[in-house]
Amino acid sequence: MNSSPAMEPDAPDLVCQLDNVQGMVDALTCVRWKRHQDALVELSEHGIVLIVEESGCLQAKVYLQRELFTKYEYGAEGRPRFGISLGLLVDCLNTFSSPGHSNTIEIKYPGPDMELLLKYDETITHPLCSRSLADDGCGFIRSVDTLNSCIYSEIRTRIPETSEWDYNFEQAGAAPLTFTVKSAALKEAIDDLEWPGSSVQISLQKSPPCVTFRGEGHGDLQIDFMYYANTDLLLAFHCDTEVSYGYKYKFLKATTANIPGNVARENRGSKLTIGRGGMLKVQHLVSVAKALAPQVESAGYQPPSRIAYIEFFVKPEETA
Amino acid sequence: MKFKAFLTENGVNLLERRFLPAFDKMGKTCYLFLTKDHLFFLHNLLNGDGVQCIAQFRIDVLFDDYRISSQNDDRIAFSLDVSLLYRAVKSSVSICTEFSGGLASNRLQIKLVKKLPLNCTQPMPFLTFETKGYKSAVIQDVPISKPLSRSQVVELQTALDSAQDLPPTLVQVQDPNQLQNFVDRMKHVGDVLNVTISKHGDLQVQTSTTLIRLGSEFQRLSVVGEKSQAPAEDRNLSAQTRSERAIARGDAQSVQVSVKHFLKSLQCHLTKPDSAFYGIAPQGACLTVIFQFLVPGTRQTDKSITLHCRLPVLDTGSN
Repeated sequence: MNSSPAMEPDAPDLVCQLDNVQGMVDALTCVRWKRHQDALVELSEHGIVLIVEESGCLQAKVYLQRELFTKYEYGAEGRPRFGISLGLLVDCLNTFSSPGHSNTIEIKYPGPDMELLLKYDETITHPLCSRSLADDGCGFIRSVDTLNSCIYSEIRTRIPETSEWDYNFEQAGAAPLTFTVKSAALKEAIDDLEWPGSSVQISLQKSPPCVTFRGEGHGDLQIDFMYYANTDLLLAFHCDTEVSYGYKYKFLKATTANIPGNVARENRGSKLTIGRGGMLKVQHLVSVAKALAPQVESAGYQPPSRIAYIEFFVKPEETA
Repeated sequence: MKFKAFLTENGVNLLERRFLPAFDKMGKTCYLFLTKDHLFFLHNLLNGDGVQCIAQFRIDVLFDDYRISSQNDDRIAFSLDVSLLYRAVKSSVSICTEFSGGLASNRLQIKLVKKLPLNCTQPMPFLTFETKGYKSAVIQDVPISKPLSRSQVVELQTALDSAQDLPPTLVQVQDPNQLQNFVDRMKHVGDVLNVTISKHGDLQVQTSTTLIRLGSEFQRLSVVGEKSQAPAEDRNLSAQTRSERAIARGDAQSVQVSVKHFLKSLQCHLTKPDSAFYGIAPQGACLTVIFQFLVPGTRQTDKSITLHCRLPVLDTGSN
């Protein structure tokens, strides 16, 4: 057996450090469409994956690769999995996030009782000045007071159910059916489609190349993204067979409802793919980096290691 | 019974910009208790439930020409709706500014009156705010309760006296923002807060449910009152272990309070105190927060204004 000195039998499966808690909160909030959701977390040497699911029709995954962390010490054999409450995890992480402070938190798994452990330590040097009479008649004594504060948390985890949550996304045909649209525009379109109060039909048309979102309820609303007309909104498009599928509004809404504000600010695009049988895959990129000074950011470019990948899978409605 | 006084400019500023905004958040109604030397704003002093808030002003801080007389040792007490008082003071300030044209001669007079309101057969008591301008006067009436009887005033005074007890150990929190930010976000996780205060200067706030334990600890805060040194061997232990050991040694106490009450008491920071001191009353009777105001430009406590809160304890955490 090949074991380094660090891999003792009781070494934790994972010890990692994150320097931007708010980024992680943003990424996880993307997949939070209900107040209470049970999530499945899988740890590996590549990073952390969190999966949530609803009624067999909607699944979301958050990929946090190890490069997002300032430290990532993986000591498990295989890939440990556990269940955790998503809402609790997000609300808890949110307490570690303090505006104006740079917080590096440490996440460890497992704790003595298989909990997920979080910790933040801060030492503030607090200068104290007081006047004193020195030889020259006037002087200052400077002493330094250190104040320590910390935040800690233990979150209970569950043994996950054994049933597989793999939605088996397969390519529709010889070539993928996919388009990339401005995330902000996608969110706006889906928000607008609430009005008809019906399910949403997504159609891909070959010529002219166009994506259509349509709702027919107590009113009709159709939103077209034409590929050549506006390459600002529709950034990529590939379709060699025309397709059209319907999706329940609330599941489609869940894919964009909680995209964080920085996605729009950074002008990101979301990629949508329609797979075999009409399964819809929606992919977003969420920045997990600390906000840099405006002059340092260039046209929304972020080094790949500071991005979390979010994926949604939505099953189409059964056709009668 | 008679009460009449002029609010000084300092008094109006203190009330309008600092204290009334905080009292407005503490509760809908409060008692105003006036004596020869002091004015008290008292929240929840006689009913058991909420956060008790006691503010005391020496008369000369707020008023000029203060006249009070009653058959009750010249003490008068009544309750009123704080938001109405706040509104009256705010609009009186804007009227005064309009009239004054730069002169400080326009004064805001406040007095206790009985008036017959519209659609009423009985005269009712009011606290009246009067501003006399050059050509006109503006009068605002804040309705108040019937002034308290002698026995009710005694009850109020007794409750007030017993609320003035200082906890044996107090720790000083100079930056309330961190604590406020934490507890504000923590309220989504739990309703009950465990507060542990040690003689070493550690303040720990923690919430615990079946699924999660979440807490924050502030170490090495200044201590007023009984203090002791933390043993060196405890230094590298976790926050929870350290506090358990301190409690076992008798160096720390722990109580449970409601998160909502704690957040409410943090609203007192609207009064812009210089710092806040936290302590647990003997036998864990309540969690006390004392807000300190310094004489501007010095490090001396301004004794003319005192403000403190007492939070009811849900369950004694430990001895």
